[in-house]
Amino acid sequence: MKKLSLMLFVLTTTVAAFALPASVQAQIPFPTDAEGIPTLAPMLEEVTPAVVNISVEGRRVTRQRMPDAFRFFFGPGMPSEETREQPFRGLGSGVIIDADAGYVVTNNHVIDDATDIAVTLKDGRQFSATVLGRDEQTDIALLKIDDPTNLTAIHIGDSDSMRVGDFVVAIGNPFGLGQTVTSGIVSALGRGGFGADRLENFIQTDAAINSGNSGGALVDLRGNLIGINTAILGRGGNIGIGFAIPSSMMINLVEQILEHGEVRRGVLGVRGGNLTQELADALEISRTRGAWVSEVLPDGAAAKAGIQAGDVIISLEGRELQSFAELAATVGTMGAGRSVVLGILRDGEELELKVELLERDTEVVAAVMHAALQGAQLSGLDNNQGVRITSVDEGSPAQRLGLVADDVIIGVNRQRVNSVSELRRLLDNAQGVVAMHVRRGNSTLYLVLPN
Amino acid sequence: MSKARHNFTQLILKPALMGLLVALVVLVVLPLIDNNRGFQLPQQAAVSSYADAVNKASPAVVNIYTTQSVRQSPYDPTPRTMSRLGSGVIMDGRGFIITANHVVTGNDEIRVALQDGRLMAAQLVGSDRLTDLAVLRIEADNLPVIPRNDELQPRVGDVVLAIGNPYNLGQTVTQGIISATGRVGLAERTGGLSSGYSDFLQMDAAINEGNSGGALVNSNGDLVGINNASYQSQIANRATTGIYFAVPYHLARRIMQQIISDGVVVRGYIGITAEQHYSDMQEMRGLLVSALDPSGPAANAGLRVGDFIYEIGGEPIQSVNQGLDIVAETRPGEMLEVLFYRDVRPMRAEVRIDRLRE
Repeated sequence: MKKLSLMLFVLTTTVAAFALPASVQAQIPFPTDAEGIPTLAPMLEEVTPAVVNISVEGRRVTRQRMPDAFRFFFGPGMPSEETREQPFRGLGSGVIIDADAGYVVTNNHVIDDATDIAVTLKDGRQFSATVLGRDEQTDIALLKIDDPTNLTAIHIGDSDSMRVGDFVVAIGNPFGLGQTVTSGIVSALGRGGFGADRLENFIQTDAAINSGNSGGALVDLRGNLIGINTAILGRGGNIGIGFAIPSSMMINLVEQILEHGEVRRGVLGVRGGNLTQELADALEISRTRGAWVSEVLPDGAAAKAGIQAGDVIISLEGRELQSFAELAATVGTMGAGRSVVLGILRDGEELELKVELLERDTEVVAAVMHAALQGAQLSGLDNNQGVRITSVDEGSPAQRLGLVADDVIIGVNRQRVNSVSELRRLLDNAQGVVAMHVRRGNSTLYLVLPN
Repeated sequence: MSKARHNFTQLILKPALMGLLVALVVLVVLPLIDNNRGFQLPQQAAVSSYADAVNKASPAVVNIYTTQSVRQSPYDPTPRTMSRLGSGVIMDGRGFIITANHVVTGNDEIRVALQDGRLMAAQLVGSDRLTDLAVLRIEADNLPVIPRNDELQPRVGDVVLAIGNPYNLGQTVTQGIISATGRVGLAERTGGLSSGYSDFLQMDAAINEGNSGGALVNSNGDLVGINNASYQSQIANRATTGIYFAVPYHLARRIMQQIISDGVVVRGYIGITAEQHYSDMQEMRGLLVSALDPSGPAANAGLRVGDFIYEIGGEPIQSVNQGLDIVAETRPGEMLEVLFYRDVRPMRAEVRIDRLRE
């Protein structure tokens, strides 16, 4: 009997003594539920209503080159390209970043060429939406939900503070299945250089991203938005390599769209490429990370700041640069007029230069505004007194309309046009036939755009 | 009745109360002890990350670029350069790097890019086709070395991080768990017992072309294995996701040590094809000999098809792989004692182990 009581004493002691260290050591990477089992559900319940499904309908213009035999047959006056419009439907995802205003961020490629955009919330409500602005080179678009009520917005986190190895969760609408949540970690930062003249500075993740996830959210474990899921590597589907646009870059672009109606890129005025191993060998530089400058454009921001061809740009605002693509993407999304400090490696020595970013001569392809303007290149005038036609393609619809280079569009349907974004807005909102007021030399004329 | 109650108080309540008292004391004192030792209590609902493990391990994972000049014909004046891509792991400060054999085999030039930007030529120290491992050496100072824990036993369910350079994207970290251990039969089947020489780890952390030779580490940053993306395509023609392989660290270390000391991996050869078998008669597990190399060491020592082997070199044999390991690790020329049953008769043979020819 005595033995039993002793045992009991020992047992109670050990139970109590073990109870504490057990709870202390339970270092689980995920938040836990009431029973201590790791789960992301509480965070996701807060966040998922801010991620929406986007379905679009539209007509996409496909161009087809005429075979030379046909041109011979129909004579030289015949256009060299045939354009065809085909209806299409598409699916994607989006993230509500402002509940009161109804602002939704998505990828440009989700809403490209769309005429009707429908946004479906997690609770099943459906709204129509319009495009406020978009940027092809970064693949970001900003939508506005018509008559928004009772929306939930996501909290935007600091993507610059993310580290490789941090947990992330992708939320979206893969294959149109409905809202889907996948988890992974940050695999790498500063990825880019996949598309020519694209601005890419991706967060790479192994969370499964598939077709339809585009435009959806990449959040951290607190539910803060740190990226917009945009692309994957791999043919059919996910191979564990997905890419998201960092939230800091997205916010820069959204702010510019809201302020100017378009993205006004900062321009550094350099050409170059990644510091590859071959290049590093040839230049006798013992590093392979950074942006190598092969050419400095005259009168550009870089030239004014004293950057020279052959320099290697190794940091931007104190942050180490991985690649030329990262430099281009960061500078291109910062907005004109900003000053940045660049770390430069020149002849084996490191120095810092302050550069004020200039504005790019925004050349806009007019076809995105109106089918009848196809073939015309536009750019804003410095004095904001209209939109200049910089060039007109031979045999294009714009030429048939009667436009010639150096024309300045000064009005649409008796409303003044001062900038490219205004022209876009007026053309988007115009119903039926559009009368365009054009200044040519010292005279003005009206051109009528067919419906 | 009252006696019973007295007993209850005496025997159960009193010690229980005392126990609780002691427990209380322990509860109050224990956190203090922990703090004194410098232990840290994690904050409530702390959101963790593998960033610390990545920071510890990733500098020691290198990108490997190889080039090989290929002539289309003997008269071809300008040979084409073929390049291949892989990853490697710096194992010690002397500059030894472990990688996958298929990354570096048959190449003219091997170059290693460190994560700090250094780029240098590497020497091939030696390689082993059967485990698809190779050892390189670079001449450099201040090398980051992969954290290692020789006591580490990978278990199914352990979190692992794969670090490498898939498709030359740049260093990439993917996360998953160990799905299975001791996967055999993936490596080319050559000689000895009918099995491979590599007990693979299976995992669901995504690896792709270029990840081969890179590190698989645990959530502490310790090396768990060497990733190998070439076996994935052997198990399925289509793009598979969620099934990937790595060579376990303990095997990689053994192979590396042999390569460093001898330049090659020498394996013992016994000349038996065998299957795992449970003998009802002897009520034990062992190996059933299904075929013999007629001029091999086992046949010379008198073993026959149908013999039931239950002990090799003094160790009871449970699996084909275990037997394979014992034989492979025996130096050619040395004797191994094999205990077996022929029908019901217990027998014994002294086998002179030969050298495994690849």
